[in-house]
Amino acid sequence: MAVFNPKDRVIECKIVYYGPGRSGKTTNLEYIFKAGKKYTNSELVSINTKGDRTLFFDFLPLGLGKIRGCDVKVQLYTVPGQAKYNSTRKLVLKNVDGVVFVADSLEIRRKENFLSLKDLQQNLAEKNMNILKIPLVIQYNKRDLGEQGIPIMPIKDMERDLNSKLKAPSFGANALKGKGVGETLKKCLILTLRHLQKELQWSQ
Amino acid sequence: MSDKERIKSLIKEAALYQKQGLFEESKEKYEEILTFIQDHERYSKDKKLIDAVKGKIRIAEDNLDEIDKTTETPALSQEIQDLISRLFSSSKDKDMAAIEGAVALAKFGQYEKALAEFQRLIEEGKMPLVAAKNSLMCHIAISSPDAAIAQFEQWVSWNTFSGPDLKYIRTFLENTLEKQGIKADLPLVDEAPDVEGESEEREVDMIDISSISVELANGPRKGEKIELQVTFQLGNKISTIIPAQQKYLADAFKIGLRLSGMQCFSPLAIFNARGIVSGLKIVTSGPRRGSHALDITIDGV
Repeated sequence: MAVFNPKDRVIECKIVYYGPGRSGKTTNLEYIFKAGKKYTNSELVSINTKGDRTLFFDFLPLGLGKIRGCDVKVQLYTVPGQAKYNSTRKLVLKNVDGVVFVADSLEIRRKENFLSLKDLQQNLAEKNMNILKIPLVIQYNKRDLGEQGIPIMPIKDMERDLNSKLKAPSFGANALKGKGVGETLKKCLILTLRHLQKELQWSQ
Repeated sequence: MSDKERIKSLIKEAALYQKQGLFEESKEKYEEILTFIQDHERYSKDKKLIDAVKGKIRIAEDNLDEIDKTTETPALSQEIQDLISRLFSSSKDKDMAAIEGAVALAKFGQYEKALAEFQRLIEEGKMPLVAAKNSLMCHIAISSPDAAIAQFEQWVSWNTFSGPDLKYIRTFLENTLEKQGIKADLPLVDEAPDVEGESEEREVDMIDISSISVELANGPRKGEKIELQVTFQLGNKISTIIPAQQKYLADAFKIGLRLSGMQCFSPLAIFNARGIVSGLKIVTSGPRRGSHALDITIDGV
């Protein structure tokens, strides 16, 4: 849940990048960090293990300046994608305000996308949150690999697999090159702030 | 596609998976290539090709082994430990936030730092029973039940806690060890008569509950089972928030209502409990304005 200080008109919210292992969650944050240095004085904190796999989480705080007189600060997190780190994912999801689900477009990772989305839904439900109601954006990452002749899933098939019920805004992306990264974050921020505005009535 | 092109395409795919860190997928792809080669007479005698593919499979396997062997509790810098402690403690209550921060450190495997923090809290008398309970869990996670038992024995000999508190900690440790199939010979504690003021603190030592499931006893949805997230817990008193838009849920509760078939979910266990509604009020300020704060006191499990 966002922290809102009505006296100082500061709002701090938390967005978590979720998705299967190696789908590009950390790459998203790395690109945001490089591209958005003017929005942060902090470093991107990554706790990785062998092969740059996220072990605990990545953390990047951003200041978005003033929106409707409120100072908006956003904390971006990633979770470890590997199935065995579910307790860490649960911990990182605590008090989440918005979620970016980073799906892997590789055909060979189709099942992992399913399982990770299901895992997200269950972990949210444990915290009394509904995946249909939380601000959520889906990103179909690694779209560029299709051009290299690597089998990837067509977007319409990924939409049918993952988004037919959720009907969340979705974007194709190549996070390594930054394509689609900004659009994904921007949409998630808009949805999250709109949601918080409604919940906290912070524009009044 | 010719056989040669097919092999080339599969190798390209396998190499990309390797580069992406998808070692399992890379290994499977190289195995597919190996089978393809062995099934085609033209390539099945090409020892160099077969050895090269087998070499790639070994590399993928080595990478997978290395991931398996990687320690899941790396030593983190003081700065990162402090960050974890700060990021994962959300309570406004300073002592509760300190406990949450230390628990987060323990959950991220930073047991030594967590232990030092729990020890500090015990010494400063800040939620000492919760700190003691978590301290024992850390000892068990770090090394062995023996370390937890030794810690308890030290508390007994140093009179760190009062008699009733030590007895309570003893029961907690005994139960925890029993769950692991360990029958420990813990020192007996002489329970001195309880003094005023201590009973409240003893209530603090209740397993952490993350959510509860209760059956609505009143209202239009009578009989429906609902789940509520625990937003705050102090001992056997838990607080939950019913969002403003779910007022019908709040209407189903009133102070004094007994909840007999309550299910409690905690990271350690799911258990049934009994309780009583001890508070119900509308939140009048802050981000939860308009919601209902529902307090439940658990009086039996």
